[in-house]
Amino acid sequence: MSVLAIKDLNLSFGRKQVLFDISLPDLRSGDMVGLIGPNGAGKSTLLQALAGHLRYEGEVRVFGSSATQLSAARHREYMAFMPQSLIQKSSLLPYELLWSALRSTASISSQTDAEQRIDSLLETLGLSAVANQPLYTLSGGKRQLVGLALSLVRQPRLLLLDEPTSALDLHWRLIVLDYLKQEARQQRGAVILALHDLDLALSHCDRLVLMNQGRIVAAGVPREVLTQAHLARVYHVDANLVDTHSGDTLLHIKKALDT
Amino acid sequence: MPNNVTSPLSIEYAQIKRKRLALLLAMLVAMITSLMLDISTGPANIGFFELLQGLVDPDSLEMRYRIILWDVRLPDALIAISVGAALGLAGAETQTVLNNPLASPYTLGVSALAALGASLAIVIHPSIPELSDRVVLPMMALMFALLGGFLILAFTRMTDGSREHVILFGIALVFFANAMTAGLQYVASAEAVQEIVFWTIGNLTKAGWPEFFVVTLAFLIVFPFSLRHVWAMTLIRAGESHAVSSGLNVRRMRTWVILRISVLAAFAVCFVGTIGFIGLVGPHIARLLLGEDHRFLIPGSVLCGALLLSTASVLSKALLPGVIIPVGIVTAMIGVPVFLVLIIQQRHRL
Repeated sequence: MSVLAIKDLNLSFGRKQVLFDISLPDLRSGDMVGLIGPNGAGKSTLLQALAGHLRYEGEVRVFGSSATQLSAARHREYMAFMPQSLIQKSSLLPYELLWSALRSTASISSQTDAEQRIDSLLETLGLSAVANQPLYTLSGGKRQLVGLALSLVRQPRLLLLDEPTSALDLHWRLIVLDYLKQEARQQRGAVILALHDLDLALSHCDRLVLMNQGRIVAAGVPREVLTQAHLARVYHVDANLVDTHSGDTLLHIKKALDT
Repeated sequence: MPNNVTSPLSIEYAQIKRKRLALLLAMLVAMITSLMLDISTGPANIGFFELLQGLVDPDSLEMRYRIILWDVRLPDALIAISVGAALGLAGAETQTVLNNPLASPYTLGVSALAALGASLAIVIHPSIPELSDRVVLPMMALMFALLGGFLILAFTRMTDGSREHVILFGIALVFFANAMTAGLQYVASAEAVQEIVFWTIGNLTKAGWPEFFVVTLAFLIVFPFSLRHVWAMTLIRAGESHAVSSGLNVRRMRTWVILRISVLAAFAVCFVGTIGFIGLVGPHIARLLLGEDHRFLIPGSVLCGALLLSTASVLSKALLPGVIIPVGIVTAMIGVPVFLVLIIQQRHRL
C-alpha cells in the first residue's frame, strides 16, 4: 500500500526557490527512508512541506489522498512531524504534556488504553523515571526523547522526523531507530527521517534520499546512494562502503576533500 | 484525567494533582480571608463581628455603617477581586500564547489605549457636563481598549500572526498611545492633568455595584472559553513548533486568546485605571506553585490575581491611618520586589 507519493514538488521562500522538482518512488507500508545531505541541502524544508507547514507546488499524496485536500483531523490522524528543535524548557511535566497532546489533538476512546499507551511509550523511550519531573531539569537528550514521544503518542502512520536522534547517545540512537522501524511495520505506515549520521542511515534505513542544494542527487537502497562519487561530490569527503568478512557493510571515511 | 488510575505513573501524577488541588483550595481560602480583611479595613471604626452580622442582616447596622459597608467597602472589595481575577487570567493567557514569561495583558497596548480614551474623556469633559464621570470616562476607556484589541487582531491577520509580530505591534501601540496621552496632557489644564495621572495610577474607590457587575460579567463570559482551551494551552508550553507539529492550529488559538485578553484587560481597567503588575506577577506565582498544566495554572492565576489585588487594597487603606493610597501605587510597591525575587528564583526556568 502506498503511504506517501511525491511528484514534482517545488518550493520557494518569496522569490528564492529552495526545493527543485522533488519526486520520489512511492513509500510502502513498513518503509524507513533516510533523508541525507549536507547542511542546507533542503532536508528540513522538505519534511516541513510534507507536514503541511510550508506551501509548495506539486503533488503529494498520503494514503492515496492529496495532502492539501486532507481535513485537519485526517491530517493529524495520518501523520506527525517532529521538528529539529528540542522541546523548550519549562516546569511542564512530560507525563502531563503527553496527556495534553492526546486531549487537544486526538479523540480518546478509552482512558485506560490512552494511559497504557503513554506508559508504554515512556517506558520504551527510557523516560519513566523522569515522567513527572519538570522539563527544565531534563538533559537535552531526554528532552529530544520527550519530543519524539510527543510525535508518537497519537500513533500516526506516517512519521516525518527531523534529526530525531541528534542529541542522543549511541545506545539510545540504536534503540530509537529500532523502535521506529518496528512501529512502521506494526502501524502499516512509514518513517522518513533526516539524518546526519551516515552510519545509522546505512544500518537502519531501507532506502536513502541524498539531497544537495534543494535537489535530489540520488535515491535508492543505501549501497546505490552512498557511493564514493556521491560522497565526494555532495559531502566533499573521501569515503566508500566496505564489505566485511562477517557480511556487514561499513562506511569507511578517509579524509575531507578540498571544496 | 482518568479516575480509575492504575499504572505507577498515573498514581504518581494523581498525587501531584492532589497537591495542586490543595494549593488551589489554600489560595481560595487566602482570597476569601483577604476579602474579609478588605471589608473590615477603612477609616470608619466598625467592629469585625458587627460587620459580619451586617453582611447577613444589613438592618442590624446603624444607617451610616450600613451605607459604609454596603455602598463603599463591599463593592470596592469585590471589584478588587473581579479586576484581580480578570488581570490574572489575562496575564496567564498572554504569557502562554506569546511564549513570554515577561509579558502581561498590558504588553498588547490595550491598557495604554484605555488610558488614552480616559484622558480624552477627562480633557473634553467640560463640553458635556450632563454626563457623569462614571459613564463617559469608563466608556471611552473601554472603547479605546477594545479598539486596541481589534487593531492587534487586524494586524495579526495581515501578517503571519507570529508571536514576535504581535509583541512588536503591541509595543508600537503602547508608544503611540503614550505619545497621544502625553500630547493631551501638554494641552490640558492642570486639574485635568492631575485627574489623568490619578486615573492611570489605578484606584478602586470610585467603583460601585454597577461597575462590579459589569467587570464580573465580562470575566464570567470569558472564563469558560479559557477553560475550554486548557489542554491546547498546555501543549503550547512544549514550544510552538512542537505544538504545531502535534496538529494544533496555534495561529487560530492565538487569535482567540488575543480576543479574550483584550476583552478582559479592557473591562478590568476601564473603571479602575491601569493597575500594574497583577497580570504579570499573579500568573508567575501561580506557575511557581502549580506548574504549567493549565487546568491548574488558569484557575490558580485567577485566584492569585484576585488575592494580590485584594491584599493591595487592604494595604492601601492600612499603611497610612486615615489615608487611602491609590491601589496602583501599592501593587507596584509590592509587585516590583516580588517580581524581582521571582525572576531570580526562576532564572533557570524562563
